[in-house]
Amino acid sequence: MNNAFRTVSLLVLLCGLAACEAVPAYQRGDLARTEMAFDPDPLESRLNQHIYFSKEASTGGNGVAAGGCGCN
Amino acid sequence: MHSKTLLALTSSALALPGVIATSSAKADTPPAESVLSYRASSYKEDDLDASLLLAGSAERYDIKIHQLRYAAPVGDKYSFSLDSSYESMSGASPWYTVESVNGDAKVAMSGATIYEKRRDITAAGRRYFDNGNLGISLTISDENDYRSNSLAIDGSVTLANNSTTIIGGASYSDDELSPTDALLFNRIPSATKANSSAFVSVTQILNQFSIIQSGISTARASGFLSDPYKLVDRRPEERNQFTWTTSWRRYFRPQTSALHANYRYYDDDFGVSSHTLDLSLHKTFKRTITVVPSLRYYQQDAASFFTPASDFLQATDFNSADFRLSSYGALSAGLKLNARVGKYTFVLSGERYRADASLGGAGESSPGLINFTRLSAGIDFTF
Repeated sequence: MNNAFRTVSLLVLLCGLAACEAVPAYQRGDLARTEMAFDPDPLESRLNQHIYFSKEASTGGNGVAAGGCGCN
Repeated sequence: MHSKTLLALTSSALALPGVIATSSAKADTPPAESVLSYRASSYKEDDLDASLLLAGSAERYDIKIHQLRYAAPVGDKYSFSLDSSYESMSGASPWYTVESVNGDAKVAMSGATIYEKRRDITAAGRRYFDNGNLGISLTISDENDYRSNSLAIDGSVTLANNSTTIIGGASYSDDELSPTDALLFNRIPSATKANSSAFVSVTQILNQFSIIQSGISTARASGFLSDPYKLVDRRPEERNQFTWTTSWRRYFRPQTSALHANYRYYDDDFGVSSHTLDLSLHKTFKRTITVVPSLRYYQQDAASFFTPASDFLQATDFNSADFRLSSYGALSAGLKLNARVGKYTFVLSGERYRADASLGGAGESSPGLINFTRLSAGIDFTF
């Protein structure tokens, strides 16, 4: 495991939190748009994750893992 | 604005960290509308270059995929979703790799075209609370030579600052392999493996137009992790994986566009580490048409036991010539079009993926890398 990357990930996370500003609810309309969602198209992202899982050595990082398959 | 659209937008806003309706004090609610979605996709790998083919068919996988999804609120505290897919696959895959007399590696493909089908179904439920939610899902994936049952739970909590959400989850899958023609090709007749994973992430509103999510996950696979369809392939029986993922969204109001940026770092004790970066721009025209160009970059190091040519002498404890464990990089470009007409959204999308050994990280590369094209068409019905 690469401990340096773990440290960097935590530092970036803390810097990100420190950089935020309070946004009142009435100013959150743009954040609530469909195209701003982390996963705006669940079917397409599910298919893409399945393809990359089948054809690349890396997996994970998309929330809870889906089940395995004979493709990998 | 139609009342249902207003309801959907309000629901999305309520789902954001810290958006609390003053009257009910309910921060997290189910989706306001039900959605029924269908996608038909074609995944086609390019034929293996004739100069790299030692034996067998150069024609690689061609897969047709059908996906169906139904997601709906159940009362004001629950939601339910059902995802199902059906794949039919034909084509050949790399069987073994040898080094030719001039030092170049060549690939022997499986002689006969493989025909395979896979079905999977996921049922998921979620309970919503004042400041978070809790979900559970069950997945079954079934092929004639592979079956996987998995269970996952996840939940989120919005902190008192109303701008931060902590998300966490865990999963477990129990898989059984029963390779075809095991006696004929001296393959293992049956085997099992298990996968467990856990993740935690933080979602943070940065300002009026941007939001970020960052998290880490670990996963552990154990059991028979080798590929039974390779002539020679022997991998460790345990694999521990780590990822760090960060996603950023930024809305540009004058351009009516949302920029998506995602990065993932991955490493495991097979010796593989990788970087994945993808960018997409969601540009909306007249509130009904969205065009999404996207780019993805991927780079991985080779596994420590990867060998460009199959190790027929089994000189080492572990060895594999699987191109997926080699050093390579890949670039892909995609384009997607969404058109909303009343309660219907029509979707067209495509992606072209090219793998290249020269873009790879540390370690040796494989002659069996793939290029593929994916095309999808579908429809979402909201009601």
